Amino acid sequence: MNDSLKALIESLIFVSQEPVTLDRLGTIAEGVPPAEIQAVLEELIRDYEAEGRGIHIIRAGGGWLFSTKPAHDREVRRLLQIERKNRLSSAGLETLAAIAYRQPVTQSEVSAIRGVDSTGALKTLLEKKLIKIVGRKKAPGNPLVYRTSDEFLLYLGLDSLEGLPSEAEIAKILEEEKAVEAEP
Amino acid sequence: MAAEPLSADDAPVPSSADAAEGYQVRLDVFEGPLDLLLFLIRKKKIDIHDIPIAAITRDYLGYLERKTEINLDREAEFVFIAALLIYIKSQMLLPRETDLAEHEDPRRVLIDRLVEYEKVKAACSLLREREDVQILQWKRNFIPPLHGESELEPLELSLFDLAESFFLMMKRREAADTRVIRGRDVPIEVKMKELVTLLQERHVLDFLEYFESHASLEEALVSFFCILELVKSRVAVAVQDELFQTIRVWLRKDPHRTAAHE
Repeated sequence: MNDSLKALIESLIFVSQEPVTLDRLGTIAEGVPPAEIQAVLEELIRDYEAEGRGIHIIRAGGGWLFSTKPAHDREVRRLLQIERKNRLSSAGLETLAAIAYRQPVTQSEVSAIRGVDSTGALKTLLEKKLIKIVGRKKAPGNPLVYRTSDEFLLYLGLDSLEGLPSEAEIAKILEEEKAVEAEP
Repeated sequence: MAAEPLSADDAPVPSSADAAEGYQVRLDVFEGPLDLLLFLIRKKKIDIHDIPIAAITRDYLGYLERKTEINLDREAEFVFIAALLIYIKSQMLLPRETDLAEHEDPRRVLIDRLVEYEKVKAACSLLREREDVQILQWKRNFIPPLHGESELEPLELSLFDLAESFFLMMKRREAADTRVIRGRDVPIEVKMKELVTLLQERHVLDFLEYFESHASLEEALVSFFCILELVKSRVAVAVQDELFQTIRVWLRKDPHRTAAHE
């Protein structure tokens, strides 16, 4: 295997603050066929997944990036001197899910899905940059239209919106929940 | 080095074991009226597609009466669904000449909402699992949080923001520049070409900086109209990252449209 290519790809992913796509790697490693880059990349990923490594290469937001492994969260936070990262509130997550599945979507559409006014939750998600305003709907009042952002994909470790739980996965969860409840 | 237990900020839905006597569930453990309805439906092991409206309405209203605090906004949402339940019941009581086809079932509107909400809830539990894993992994794009709440929100740039920036800049010029401005014909077509070429060369243009370099008010005005025209015809984009920051202008990466304007 091409060791210098591997080292090159490693350094490119290392310096990048955003997920690096295969295309991007291809334009920089000129003349190397995409299949070779892919193969070297996969080897690199395997190297990092091995025991005894603190960081690994994850796929999110359409590309690859380095992240620490979950086991070291507490120590990393101690180094950075910050508190635990808060999970989204249930209202926030519910609003985010409604947007993710129904986008592009307006505030009143999200509120209708949840049966609850979602203005506050939308504001919080905007502040967290998990959603973005993409324009206005041509409807009475010209309401703002929202979409999930690239940060959203990174936040949940999704490669693309295609990676959202599918209808089948959701149906499975619902069945499991019903099975649990059916027990005496 | 085991991961610490995750914060349990999710209010757990009470298990059906408590369902006998002295059943105490506060309304605020539910995300909203649909959440409460789903809970009641599941507790009774009812098929969501065949809800006995009278029984569910009775349960539902029972919960509303048990509320411990008054929060008008929340209340309105719960009362709205109560009204919907009662309306559906009244529709079902009306005599009909023929049997209802399924899509005419007065419960349809409620069933559709419940089914959709149920899916969102289920998706949430899957997304929560992802969040729990991701939140423990630190990425290089991480920036330590600033102390204090950030008030900044992504700004939408309107024509007025652009115009205001322009006039602000012209005012600044007025104060600094005392020369007499002589008229010079600057055709829009020429300026437009100039501007597009400049954008292609420089990729990104600083809005204010661009105007600083103009000799006359007239020329600046023409340039300003050119930028408006480029943005309007979706050839260029104008973006302001944050309040009070400069506006940056660049060409859209759509060669077809750009070519049409050259």
